[in-house]
Amino acid sequence: MGNGLGTGGNNYITYSGMIWLLAAQLVVMLPFALHLPVWLIPLVLFAAGWRLWVLSGGASQPGTLLKLGLMLFGIGGLFLSGLKFPSLEAMSALLLLGFAFKSLEVIQRRDALVVVFIGYFLVALHFLYTQSILAGLYGVVSLVVLTGALIGTQQTVAEFTAVQNVRFNLRLAAVMLLQCVPLMLLLFVFAPRLQPLWSLPMLTDQAKTGISDRMTPGDIASLSQSAELAFRVTFKGERPAQNQLYWRGLVLNHFDGHEWRQFEQTPDLWQMKELVRQEYAFRPDAVQVAGTPIEYEAVYEKTGQPWLFTLSPTLKVAGDVLQAADFRVMAAQELQAPLLLKATSYPQALRDVQLASSLRELALQLPTDGDLRSRELAQRLRQETGSEQAYIDKVLARFREQQFFYTLRPPTLGDSNTIDEFLFESQRGFCAHYAGSFVFLMRAAGIPARVVAGYQGGEWNAQGQYLAVHQYDAHAWAEVWQQGKGWVQIDPTAVIAPQRVEQGLEAAVQAEGSFLQGQLLSTRHLPWLNGLRHKLDAVQYGWQRWVLGYDQTTQMDLLHAILGELTLLRVATLVGGVLVVILLGWLLMLGLARRHAREALEHQLYRRFCAILAKRGVVRQPGQAPGAFAQQAAAALPAQSDNIRAFTQVYETLCYLPDASGYAKHTRQLKALLGKLS
Amino acid sequence: MVEALQARLDAWVKQRLPQARETTLDQRRIFIVPSKTGLGLLLMVLLLFLLGINFQNSLVYAVCFWLLSLLLLNIFYTWRNLSGLTISAIGVEPCFAGEKAVVEIGLACPDTQRKFALHLGWPGEDAVQVNLATVSSTRVKLSHSTTQRGRFQPPRIHVATRYPAGLALAWSYVTLDMQGIVYPKPVEKNWQAQGKAAVVSSEDGLEIAGGSSDFGGIRDYRPGDAPKHIHWGKYARTGKLHTKVFADYASHDLWLDWDELPLPGIEVRLSHLCSKVLEFHQAQRCYGLKLPGKTIAPGKGEGHKAQCLRALALYGVTDG
Repeated sequence: MGNGLGTGGNNYITYSGMIWLLAAQLVVMLPFALHLPVWLIPLVLFAAGWRLWVLSGGASQPGTLLKLGLMLFGIGGLFLSGLKFPSLEAMSALLLLGFAFKSLEVIQRRDALVVVFIGYFLVALHFLYTQSILAGLYGVVSLVVLTGALIGTQQTVAEFTAVQNVRFNLRLAAVMLLQCVPLMLLLFVFAPRLQPLWSLPMLTDQAKTGISDRMTPGDIASLSQSAELAFRVTFKGERPAQNQLYWRGLVLNHFDGHEWRQFEQTPDLWQMKELVRQEYAFRPDAVQVAGTPIEYEAVYEKTGQPWLFTLSPTLKVAGDVLQAADFRVMAAQELQAPLLLKATSYPQALRDVQLASSLRELALQLPTDGDLRSRELAQRLRQETGSEQAYIDKVLARFREQQFFYTLRPPTLGDSNTIDEFLFESQRGFCAHYAGSFVFLMRAAGIPARVVAGYQGGEWNAQGQYLAVHQYDAHAWAEVWQQGKGWVQIDPTAVIAPQRVEQGLEAAVQAEGSFLQGQLLSTRHLPWLNGLRHKLDAVQYGWQRWVLGYDQTTQMDLLHAILGELTLLRVATLVGGVLVVILLGWLLMLGLARRHAREALEHQLYRRFCAILAKRGVVRQPGQAPGAFAQQAAAALPAQSDNIRAFTQVYETLCYLPDASGYAKHTRQLKALLGKLS
Repeated sequence: MVEALQARLDAWVKQRLPQARETTLDQRRIFIVPSKTGLGLLLMVLLLFLLGINFQNSLVYAVCFWLLSLLLLNIFYTWRNLSGLTISAIGVEPCFAGEKAVVEIGLACPDTQRKFALHLGWPGEDAVQVNLATVSSTRVKLSHSTTQRGRFQPPRIHVATRYPAGLALAWSYVTLDMQGIVYPKPVEKNWQAQGKAAVVSSEDGLEIAGGSSDFGGIRDYRPGDAPKHIHWGKYARTGKLHTKVFADYASHDLWLDWDELPLPGIEVRLSHLCSKVLEFHQAQRCYGLKLPGKTIAPGKGEGHKAQCLRALALYGVTDG
């Protein structure tokens, strides 16, 4: 059916169409400069410049050899720039390269379409790197320009100037995309959200951030220098006190004398999932529920790691997450995008009142040698004290009473005997030092204990009524297993620097001035700027919670809220109804639905009159005068001749002698006559 | 089988799209399907959907759904670009068989609308792309090849558009009630070589009044007669003015006579006569045409030529 359309010379792209394409290419490629090798940009500009030069007649079409050379140069450059193959990033770089070079040879409409389509794909691809509001807005602009280019490939109005053409196409593209928004939103909200179909290649530039799965004193200190957001939390009920906010992430069981790790062998994500599904699985009966629950929703920033941070123990949790025997909650995938979690925690519940022997073994592990002074100290203190509880208090009191300092600038420790060095020599450190040495002393005295890594506290945003937890809130503390009480959380840092848990890190190191060292802190000290920062952050949080965090769970909740019980019929009715409204809206907006409504009533009636007569075999010729037609019809249908003549007379009166006062009366007459006729 | 289907389809299209002098495209007449480009975009939307699923990325979903919506909305735009277009017959210029007949049609749309990238033509024949961007009506000329003399009814015109985004193809067929004349192909046959002696002229001439060569008689003087034609001798005898009358004879005229052509076959004769008409017209001769059942008196000029060619074109063609 399109056979007529392929002929002629209009398969070639016009000059303005080509300018369009180049503009669209540049717009699409610009943001990738932030994520991909920078030299791609001049290469792209070179290709575009050449193209323009060719178009203006200054140069000939580049030869095959040259194109091949450029392509090899580009691909070689990609290899040399250290991109991993295969990775999503390498794919985007290749796509970008092809996208740029395509402009060297775009002549035909089909090539132009390929360019525009790749452009659309790249716009989406960029959202894998960043999903900020700004990136979203930029994406919208890119879509408008690409759609304008798409329209430009179809038509150029010779009567318009180039500027008029551009403005016209751009406006049309913007209007069309705007009109698409309702349907897009409908699809966004109601289209089924599926679980990932296969595992994803990582974006290599997305370095893993946040808490790592191993702790050497020093790690957390570097996190303390980062003002990046870790996650935000909204509480359903009242906000718990600041010193209750222990966001529990990882449990570090194994100590090798230098470094704390989860297990002796560090499992990868797949192994970890296997472990958590089998021998290390969470048993709900390990928790004795007590106290009031805390309900909350958290949106975690993408970290490239699967760890999630919750108040412990978490009992009800929604989403694609796993729970382990150590009460941790983790995502089934590494976080490539912000993740929304709804959870309910019972901080006062008892955990593991009966401790499984495998867990006990893990919680008593110590390296075979080293740190002899600390081991001696533990045994001595344990013998001096009558009970485990008294021993714990004694160790904490020692931290408090001896010359221990909380600092983000501790002296570096050696490779071995680190606990000894810290406890007896430097006596300066932060949470990691205190938690590590505390657990060591517990284990050395035969008390099961483990290090917990996560975040503590957070910044309350009154504008948005949520808690923002940043990387500098990273923290490590200890859990000790006690008969009858199960796992008890103990934070040795709180003993040395109570401000750390009550007011946050900034207050704890105020004297030292090491908080966010080397960063521009000005906004934090100017109240109005701080307010603005909170407002902006609140907007971002809304964006993350409602747009980026919109997943299967949120979708189900929303559907429940709108429809009550979910049945296929209800969902279909709702979606179908909205769809019909949108389509009708389109018809109205495009002026496709009002043709008949606009026609004056008498003309509508006359058309009905003609239709009735046509059924009886008297067909009005196009352009035939009503009078002449009336004569013909009256002759053909003598029985109705009076009605036909009367109708025509009234109709002609209305047409040729319009009289506003008699309009209603006349149209009534017409209707009555029509009734008699039919 | 296929032909039968095609015939049924044609019949259906014919019934659905009756011919008229003027046709306004409305929803009954417009067919619309996604174009190849549209299917390509659909494929990409699927790709984006997979990307969205696998990376659980809301904004990728948003782009995917936005493009899908665009694909749908575009159908309405493309439809609107055809809807309301009025195509009217203006005329078909006559031509000779084997040449291109130029069909002129008018395009118009309501003042409130604008139309872009309208594509009109016949598959395998001429096609044009028209905009109604700054005016609400225009005329276009399309040429269509002819093979046979006679009446030429332009086949249904394919009116199509992919505007604005090229993602959908809307089209309609318009059969305009217009006819053109296709003259026989002018082919001269050198038949005198075959030894026949027929001439194209006729002996028994008809008088053509107002001639000046041969003396034809005397009549009473009428005011306005040329003084040199006054019979002065008779005036001297009778005292009355008389005018001498001269006459040209039609034997000087050329007759193109069907019956005297010793050529086989109707079309061959018509082609030959056609070439002769052109030749005499070119030479500014006075010529007449005799066809079985039709005689055109000698004459000259464009009108005469057209009359003769028309008679040749329609020889043996029944009206209808």
